[in-house]
Amino acid sequence: MAFNWTPQQNMLLRMVSEFTDKEVAPFDMQIDRDGRYPDGLFQKMVETGFLGIMLPREYGGAAFDPEITAEVIRRMAVGNASAAVTLEGHYKTVDQILKFGTDALKREYLPSATKRIFAFSMTESTGGSNPMGIQTTAKRAGDDWVISGNKIMITNGGLAEVYCVLVKTAPDELSVFLVDKDMPGFSFGKQEDFIGLRGVPVGEIVLDNVRVSADHLLGKLGNGIMIGDSAHDDARILMGAALTGIMEHALQVAADYANERKAGDGTIGQMQSIQRKIADIAMGKETTKLLYQRAALLKANNQPYSEEATMAKAYGSRTAVSACDDALQVLAGYGYSREYPLAHLIMDARAMEIAEGTVEKMRSAIAIAELSK
Amino acid sequence: MKIVVCIKQVPESNNVKFDPVTHNLLRSASTGRINPYDKNAIEAALRLRDTVGGSVSVLTMGPPAAEETLRDGLAMGADDAYLLSSRAFGGADTLATGYTIAQAIRKIGGVDLLVFGRQAVDADTGQVGPIVAELLDQPQVTFASKIAVLDDHTLHVTRDLDDRKQTIRLTLPAVLSVRSELNTPRYETPVNIQDSFTKPLTVWNEKDIAADPTRIGLQGSPTVVTKVFAPENAGRQNQQLTGTPAEAVDQLINILQQQNLI
Repeated sequence: MAFNWTPQQNMLLRMVSEFTDKEVAPFDMQIDRDGRYPDGLFQKMVETGFLGIMLPREYGGAAFDPEITAEVIRRMAVGNASAAVTLEGHYKTVDQILKFGTDALKREYLPSATKRIFAFSMTESTGGSNPMGIQTTAKRAGDDWVISGNKIMITNGGLAEVYCVLVKTAPDELSVFLVDKDMPGFSFGKQEDFIGLRGVPVGEIVLDNVRVSADHLLGKLGNGIMIGDSAHDDARILMGAALTGIMEHALQVAADYANERKAGDGTIGQMQSIQRKIADIAMGKETTKLLYQRAALLKANNQPYSEEATMAKAYGSRTAVSACDDALQVLAGYGYSREYPLAHLIMDARAMEIAEGTVEKMRSAIAIAELSK
Repeated sequence: MKIVVCIKQVPESNNVKFDPVTHNLLRSASTGRINPYDKNAIEAALRLRDTVGGSVSVLTMGPPAAEETLRDGLAMGADDAYLLSSRAFGGADTLATGYTIAQAIRKIGGVDLLVFGRQAVDADTGQVGPIVAELLDQPQVTFASKIAVLDDHTLHVTRDLDDRKQTIRLTLPAVLSVRSELNTPRYETPVNIQDSFTKPLTVWNEKDIAADPTRIGLQGSPTVVTKVFAPENAGRQNQQLTGTPAEAVDQLINILQQQNLI
């Protein structure tokens, strides 16, 4: 794993930390309270070029590798996990277009991925973890396809302008098409009111006979599950990074408090019961970091990374919930107050035990991978 | 408009080291970053270039590691960079630094506008810009808070002074130093960061800029740092005042008077 970044990588990461400290972190509590980003923040992220960090140069991006992309997410998450997850949702979608899109589709859409948010939509009311339960269909109409159905709980749903949607192209065949919010028949539906990651818009799109040309198909007909799994894998690396950032945030709050809070002749940080919690948070942060960094390294080297990415999120999400709970306990009454961020950090981490595959499904995937070795 | 922005690498933190003999800052031993005020100067130059066309160069004097600071300027959007680097430049005060920069500006040639930040956060002198203007015999405006382009050869520059504002018609070539209130510097973008490592960066020593050896570095510096020290940290003191509120106030006044604080 590369711990000695190149000068370009160092400069990028320094900029990301400076941006996060100045533009994102000061609004962390406000974002949770309001359930939205403050005016101008998302636009500033776009203008600064965050959307194109991992996009190849030929499409106007900066072409930083998967390790650096994950590091960007981690640093952003220290300031605010929602902002990091908004980027994660975009990056994983762009990744699938890069992997499976036709050249024509890439040329048409990817240059705009530096300015427009892209999203991946799988879940429906009848299927999420059970993809065969989905009911959205794509039907041939001459050379085109016509898509109808509702997709829900989409990360960045409502904010994103371009969507990769999982649809049924036959009763037992799933495929992925790209649709644009400006296409006739496309509209936005219900926005969710989630208890964590409250800055991330999560919403529904309604596809009412949306007509797309055949080159809007990603991969081949029937590749839907494979592309969905690929999107999960890419997202899980970045979620491991976001979870590490959350734990770093929690550790900062807990350590600062433990060093300041007086008890007897010293501080509570001198008590072993508190030290144990601080140590557990730190170990959880570092072990999750190793997992996502390893998955990112494998991805950067074009080696299989599915199991490692799944471990990063499965392990990282439970560990982060526990770490933030430990941090809350260090602050005791103050930790339980909305004056401090620990309540929302727990809920932010909790979201990632569900999104991009539940921990139950992820454990099954890890176990199956191990049992088949 | 051909614009050169003079920038400086300053220590990343307060944990700096000094040369025990010359008492100067050991720049090669410190992790550097761009002087924050210089980002306002670069931003001002980039906006002028974007308005009237031309080019923006960034220039600094320092050890080889100062290249990193120039790359920061390039990543903000500057077109090329100049690094004045030689052991002979070491130990320069503001006069020797000003002379070295003036020589480099002569060598570059055809520069319409030189822009400086208001001052460097490590030394806080704000002297180098005015010195360069004097040595180049060019008009200068310090503490610019607003810049408007009148035509290709003239700027309208507003200065914010304590009790009034001045608007000055400035004929180019000229030297400007800018206030941080002038603008909000842009962030380095990821694409510009990648590109900054392929943009031209020229390194010049004292011979390249035809410098008089008696006017550069320690030899060309009439000011000498005699002592540098960190003030002792007395630490926090805690004293509890007892009695009625009126008695406590009397005690507090006594303590403050004894310590010559009031």
